[in-house]
Amino acid sequence: MKLPAPPSEKSFASPLHHPRVATVVGRWLGVAVVVCLLTGLYSHFQQDTPGWLHIPSRPASLYRVTQGLHVLSGTIAVPLLLAKLWTVYPKLFAKPPWPPSRQALATIVERLSILVLVSALALELFIGFLNTLQWYPWPFPFRQTHYALAWIIIGALLVHLAVKLPLIRAHWRRTSVERKPDSLPPAITGLTRRGLFRTIAGAAALVGITSAGQSVTALGPIAVLAPRKPNVGPQGLPVNRTAEAAGVTGIDANWRFTVMAPRPLTYTLDELRQLPQSRSDVPIACVEGWSQAARWEGVRIRDLLALAGAPTNSRVRVVSMEKAGFYATSELPAEFAADPLTLLALRLNGDELALDHGFPARIIAPNRPGVLQTKWVHRLEVI
Amino acid sequence: MKARLALAVAGVALGLWGLRLLFGALEPAALVRRPVWLGGAVLADDFFLVPLTIAVGWLVTRWSAGPDRHRTIGAVRTTFLYVGISSLIAVPLLLRQGTGANPTVLPRDYLRDWLLLEATIVAAGVVWFVVQRSRFTFRRSRASSGDIGGR
Repeated sequence: MKLPAPPSEKSFASPLHHPRVATVVGRWLGVAVVVCLLTGLYSHFQQDTPGWLHIPSRPASLYRVTQGLHVLSGTIAVPLLLAKLWTVYPKLFAKPPWPPSRQALATIVERLSILVLVSALALELFIGFLNTLQWYPWPFPFRQTHYALAWIIIGALLVHLAVKLPLIRAHWRRTSVERKPDSLPPAITGLTRRGLFRTIAGAAALVGITSAGQSVTALGPIAVLAPRKPNVGPQGLPVNRTAEAAGVTGIDANWRFTVMAPRPLTYTLDELRQLPQSRSDVPIACVEGWSQAARWEGVRIRDLLALAGAPTNSRVRVVSMEKAGFYATSELPAEFAADPLTLLALRLNGDELALDHGFPARIIAPNRPGVLQTKWVHRLEVI
Repeated sequence: MKARLALAVAGVALGLWGLRLLFGALEPAALVRRPVWLGGAVLADDFFLVPLTIAVGWLVTRWSAGPDRHRTIGAVRTTFLYVGISSLIAVPLLLRQGTGANPTVLPRDYLRDWLLLEATIVAAGVVWFVVQRSRFTFRRSRASSGDIGGR
C-alpha cells in the first residue's frame, strides 16, 4: 500500500497564508504581548521592588487597571496567537534546507528561535490563564516560571523581528487586494483578507467581552468566561486566602494590637475603635486580575505612626496572625504608609470586617496588589 | 541592517537572561519536566488546534461548493470559529467547576453559562445567515425584473 504524501508548503491552497496577513495579525498579537509584558512587570516590581524603583501610591486604582489589563490582554492573545499560527502554518512543512550552507544554517537558527517563541508564549498563556483559576497542575513554581518565560518570549520575539524585518516592512501597508470592496470573494467561497481580519478581531472581542467582567463591574453579568464574579463573597467581596487556609480562627479577650516604634503602643480592639476613624474608597485588586471597589473604615496608618512618635518617611513592616505563607508579613514603603488613604481597616462596606477579610484588622492601601493588603494584622513595626 | 543586528543582539541577551531565571531557583528534577511542558504546548498548537481549524475550514469550504451555498459560508465558518474559541477558553473553567480553592473562586454555573454562550453565538450566526440571504434574494429579484438594469 502506498502512503499518501506528507503535506508540503504547497499543500495549503488558501491565499490567506500570506506575509501581509502574518504582518497584520502579528501586529495585533505584538500589541497584546507588549501590554501584557509591561503590566506584568509592573505587578512583579510591586511585589519585589528593586531599590532603584519608586512606585507611587497614586492613582489609587492604578493597579486595578494594570492588572485587569494584564489578564485581559493575555486572554485576548489566545485567539490572536492561534490566528497567527494558522497564517504561517504552511511554513512548518517547508523542506529542511539541504545541502549544508551558510544560508541553511541561518534557516535552522531562525526556525529554532521560532520554536522557542511559540513554545514559551503558548505555555505562558496557558499557565497564566490557569493561575487565574488557582489551578496548578504542573510540577514547577508558577510565579518564577511565568516571570522567566516573559523574558524568553521578549528575547525570542526580538530575534524573530530582526529576521523578518524586511518582510514586515514590505507588507506593513495595505495593498490593493484589501481596498477592493467585498462584492464576490476571489475564489467565490474563500475568505477575503478583510473578512479574515474582521473575523479574528471579532474572536478577540468575543473572548475579551466575556471575561473582562471580573474587573469591569458593568460587564460582570456577562463575564461567563471569567473565573471570578467581583460581587460574590463575604460582604460582597471575593476572597483569595480564607481564614481557614491561613490557620486563623479569630481572637480572644487577650488580643492586643501593638506598634513597635520609638513610643510603643498597645491597643485592645475597643481602643482601636475609639481612635479617630477615617474612610477610604479603595478597590481590592488581585494579581489574578479580578478587582472590586470597596468602602473601608479604620485608623489611618500615618495617624498611628504620629501617635507612636515615628519619624515621617518611616517604612512599616506589617505582621499578620497568619501561621505561615509568603504573605504573612508585608512592608509598606514610606509613601504608602504616609498616604491618607492607607488604613488599618476595621470595617468593610458598613460592617465589621468578616473573618475571611481579615478580622479584626487589616491593611488597605491605594495602588497595591491584593496579596500585599495583609489581613489579620496584629503588629506594625516601624523600620 | 544595523537595526536588525541590534534587535537580534538584544533579543539573544534578554532570552539568555530569561533562561538563567528559568533554571535558577530550581531543583534538578524540575529542570527535566519543564521542557516537557514547553514541548507539550507546541504539540497542542501545531498538531492539534491549528490542524483542527484547517480541517474544519477545508470541510466547510468543500461543503460550500454546492449551488448557492457560497452566500452562506461566511456565517457558517464564523459561527464554527467562535464556538470553537470560546469553548477552548471555557474548558479549564468547566473542568474545575466546583473545585475552587474557596467558594468565591469559580462561583458561576459554568456549564449553564457555556451552553447559553454557545447558543447565543449560534443564534447570532443564524440571524446573520438569514439577513445575508434575504439581502441577496432581494437584490437578485430586483436585478431580474429589470428595473435597475439587471443582466
